[in-house]
Amino acid sequence: MLKKAFRLSDEGSKSLNRAIVACVISNITLLFPFAIVLMILLTLLEPLMGGGPLDTSRLWLWTGLGVLAAVLYGVAYGVEYDKTYTAAYKECESLRVDVAERMRRLPLSFFNRKDLAELTTNIMGDCATIEHCMSHIVPSMIANCVTISLTCLLLAVYDWRMSLAMFCTFPLSLLLIFGSRSIQRRFSERHMKAKLEASTQMQEYLEGIKVVKAFGLEGEKSRALKNSFDVMKKESIYLEAVIGAFVLPAQMLLRVASGMVVLVGVYLFTGGSLGVIPLLTFLLISLRIYGPVTTLLTLAPEFFHMQISAKRMQTLRREPEMSGQNHVELEDCNVALHEVSFGYNEAEVIHNLTVDIPQNGVTALVGPSGSGKSTVSRLIARFWDTDFGDITIGGKRIKEVDPEQLMKYMSFVFQDVVLFNDTVANNIRLGRQNATDEEVLRVAKLARCDEFVQTLPQGYDTVIGENGCTISGGERQRISIARALLKDAPIVLLDEATASLDPENEVLIQEAINELVKGRTVIVIAHRLRTVAGADKIVVLDEGKVVEMGTGEELLQKNGLFARLYNIQQESFGWSVGA
Amino acid sequence: MDTRKEKSPKRKKGMARLLQLTCYKRGLVILSCILSAISTVISFVPFIAIYFVLRELLAHLSDLSALDTAVMIRWGWVAAGSAVAAVAVNFGALMASHVAAFNTLYQLKLEFTNHIAKLPLGFHTQNSSGKLRKIADENIEKLESFIAHQLPDLAGSLAAPLCILVILFVVDWRLGLASLVPVVIGYIALAKGYGGKRAKFFVQKYNTSLEDMNNASVEYVRGISVVKAFNQTIFSFRKFYETIRHYTEYVYSYTISFKWPMAIFMVVINNIYLFIVPMAIWLSGSVTDYGTFALSVLFYILFSFAMTAPFMKLMYVSSGAMQVSEGISRLDEILDTPPLSETASPKHPRGHDVVFDKVSFSYNAEGEHEALRNVSFTAQEGQITALVGPSGSGKSTLAHLIPRFYDVDEGQLRIGGVDVREMAYEELMQQVSFVFQDVFLFKQSIFENIRIGSPHATRDEVEQAARAAQCHDFIEKLPKGYDTIIGAEGVHLSGGERQRLVIARAILKNTPIIVLDEATAFADPENEHRIQKAFEKLMRGKTVIIIAHRLATVRGADKIVVMDDGVVAETGRHDSLLAQKGRYARMWESYTSAIGWTITEKDRFAEKEVPAHA
Repeated sequence: MLKKAFRLSDEGSKSLNRAIVACVISNITLLFPFAIVLMILLTLLEPLMGGGPLDTSRLWLWTGLGVLAAVLYGVAYGVEYDKTYTAAYKECESLRVDVAERMRRLPLSFFNRKDLAELTTNIMGDCATIEHCMSHIVPSMIANCVTISLTCLLLAVYDWRMSLAMFCTFPLSLLLIFGSRSIQRRFSERHMKAKLEASTQMQEYLEGIKVVKAFGLEGEKSRALKNSFDVMKKESIYLEAVIGAFVLPAQMLLRVASGMVVLVGVYLFTGGSLGVIPLLTFLLISLRIYGPVTTLLTLAPEFFHMQISAKRMQTLRREPEMSGQNHVELEDCNVALHEVSFGYNEAEVIHNLTVDIPQNGVTALVGPSGSGKSTVSRLIARFWDTDFGDITIGGKRIKEVDPEQLMKYMSFVFQDVVLFNDTVANNIRLGRQNATDEEVLRVAKLARCDEFVQTLPQGYDTVIGENGCTISGGERQRISIARALLKDAPIVLLDEATASLDPENEVLIQEAINELVKGRTVIVIAHRLRTVAGADKIVVLDEGKVVEMGTGEELLQKNGLFARLYNIQQESFGWSVGA
Repeated sequence: MDTRKEKSPKRKKGMARLLQLTCYKRGLVILSCILSAISTVISFVPFIAIYFVLRELLAHLSDLSALDTAVMIRWGWVAAGSAVAAVAVNFGALMASHVAAFNTLYQLKLEFTNHIAKLPLGFHTQNSSGKLRKIADENIEKLESFIAHQLPDLAGSLAAPLCILVILFVVDWRLGLASLVPVVIGYIALAKGYGGKRAKFFVQKYNTSLEDMNNASVEYVRGISVVKAFNQTIFSFRKFYETIRHYTEYVYSYTISFKWPMAIFMVVINNIYLFIVPMAIWLSGSVTDYGTFALSVLFYILFSFAMTAPFMKLMYVSSGAMQVSEGISRLDEILDTPPLSETASPKHPRGHDVVFDKVSFSYNAEGEHEALRNVSFTAQEGQITALVGPSGSGKSTLAHLIPRFYDVDEGQLRIGGVDVREMAYEELMQQVSFVFQDVFLFKQSIFENIRIGSPHATRDEVEQAARAAQCHDFIEKLPKGYDTIIGAEGVHLSGGERQRLVIARAILKNTPIIVLDEATAFADPENEHRIQKAFEKLMRGKTVIIIAHRLATVRGADKIVVMDDGVVAETGRHDSLLAQKGRYARMWESYTSAIGWTITEKDRFAEKEVPAHA
């Protein structure tokens, strides 16, 4: 059951079971001192009941046993400690790795829907929550349950009437706690939502810090941020109050029972049907028994709260993965789109598109923004699957090819270059993990990176900061081209950088791209129409449809959309301030 | 501006600092502590009540008919009633403490966000957003457990030994002393475990590794598209994987380091009777009234049960407080980073000239690698001044000095004759507006996004600005028009449209000086054209400083400042600079060749040569 609730691995559920067993054992060893205390008290009170002088040697004996029990408990506690934390941390490590691995397999569309804050909260926060749940809550809850039931059973055998008095309110409090579950969960969910919103707002505030500074929106002046903090404060207080409103009466009910024990005990005692010793025993137990029960009651709401994390984790796991065959070899690199339609959500953005992209040539996708040219390239890479129609490469339907396998045939140069907080060499080596230093150096030279890398403090071993913040845009672009060169895939998907860099940098990038496209099948999303003048084929898209197709000359002569865009652009390039 | 902070630069550390942070809601915090202490004291009452029941019972063991059942039943009610009362009072304590806690977190978060916005921009490039967000999300949040739980618990568990001390003198001081011994041992074990240097070291390691893991996860998620494209498995992502491993390693060794202190504590606190019984045996040899003696032993043993609960709480206080205090010290590190100074007696600018006077600036504190060296030029009122140069030449740095994202190291930056550092920040913002190239829009309505330029603008004014920036048409086409939330499902704005929204913001703000970082990104041709129209509207009649990336853009500027490696290389108008055949002329040459580039070596538009010259 637990395995399912938390989606544990086999190893994880095994070690959780071990942890629970250890916890139960240590809880049971905690009962021994209690029994010994009882014996000691009886020995102590014996002289008062006319049993002669105090038997000190028996007292010493019990004390000795008490020490033994204490040591036993100490050992059991140590074992429990090891087991619970080992189980929790090991399992959460694999959980985190697993979530990260899982994310990698999800289609990019998933990342379109969820934003950064939520994703990272997912990995880190939920894992931590489950970690806490596994190390503290679950074993302790189960152990307490076992102890309570065990005591309950033993006492019932001893004297059922007194046990009834002691436990009569227990079902009521449980009912109160478990009955209010849905209400508690509702507030829990509201609280989680508020927390996520505050986190998202904070992330946005930090990312937009320049705007925040330049427009004087510090702290409380950012209304959305302040609001989200405000809502979170309120939701937190509500959650505490709601939980308290149920746990409090439940606890009170329980405590009333300790009075019941006295009343019933005295009644039975004076009636003569209860001896001194059982009365004494029950009175003593009534002082101790509510501890574990209260623990159970306070852990229960926390446990419910945790389930939200577990649930969210499951939604992530339930996201459909992309599948396909692993051992497909593509025969050639002719790409064909046949009657393809696609929408990111309900609204369709690509309508019934049919295009052939011949291998070993340059095919350009052009069109105004929103025309679908980027979408088409993403579909070819199978970042998304088409809704209708087929895309084939070398005659194979890419829907049937495992995305990882498909990627082996493609390199990308995206316009938003993502770099990692690692060395330059490792950032290039992302293209092919087992590349030698020489190979890295070779592609770096081809991609015109070598020159600037040499000027960095530690050359190729220089660590570039978070998302490569220490190097310039043009340099980043060239690193991403070096990656693609290193990968050496037959198909190159190129999203022409829309950013204009300083002219020298630009010339270098252009040289690097010329190296990359040599002898490959190239699909380029062009923003500067001039760039694709020499392309073998230009596909002009508008609103998700092909409106024109042909070589540059043909299209210019046709005087259609392409020609119009080309002319506006040439004019824009000539624009100047103050002119 | 928070002057309180500047006057007390030395911040308290550890527990003292945590207590200091309760200042936002001190009354509630004190109330919750008092209630918690009362609740703890009340929670002892049932034990005492049961004791009285037993005493009554034992006193009449030999003659049960003399037993006063009314007394026993009365004590039974007292036991039940006080147990319920303890729970109720404790609930009161917790409610008070939670309200105090959440209000404190709220204030602290505002103070934190406020403060980081006042720090130089360099702070933000050095501190990842993941790290800063973690401080708000986790470190500050942890204070909740301190104020809401640990502080009242501490008050409660301190009330317990006080109670014991009182009772110690009331009943039998020798047995009382014996029951205090385990308490002292427990305290020592905890202090050894949580107070030692080793523990502190572990907490720091733990926090650092947690931070690393957070940063790595942000990076991982951001890079997911690349991961997919290059077939990299999680394991090849050494970084993320390793931070996870490190975290596990530290959190594990950190936890395990408390194993034995915890075990000792738990054993001792659950076996207080083992200290009382030997003392009782020793004393029993010399007692005269055995009945009274047995009763007081009984009392202490009962009472030892009562002591377990508050001491268990104490354990959580010590482990929790240490973690919270480490988290808060990370917050304090940031709160202690000095913000850009603000002048006490602000001066008012006259006119709108922007003058860079022998400005030098370096991004690192040691003053190495100066980004700007001795830069002087004037952007004259009502004129367009363009900054050009290769990337890294310092042109963006110059622009960043104007809104005081950084302050100059040497020299002066004057607006209307006044050093920007001597101007009130609000006034500076009323003088200058900025259009940065990294367009940032908040996930709020379009209306709100434009209105950032002028928070009190009416709907009409916003719409006018949007029209001027060529935004109105596309906004009207969106599902909810101006109330469309950016980033909402199904709303997609192109780069060009986003840029125009940002220009609308600046148009609405309508300041005499405009700093423009020309967008480096090409929008599609039609968008591009509209952006240029929007720019023309924005610049009309203003003092403009423009960082130009496309050289064609600045041919008509009144003054072109050519930057190279942090110094001014050339100044002049387009024609005169070309005639000089220097740096600018060479850049122009590269520019014209870059713009004529084609991806393949053939060029089918050869007859349509490069853009028209001015």
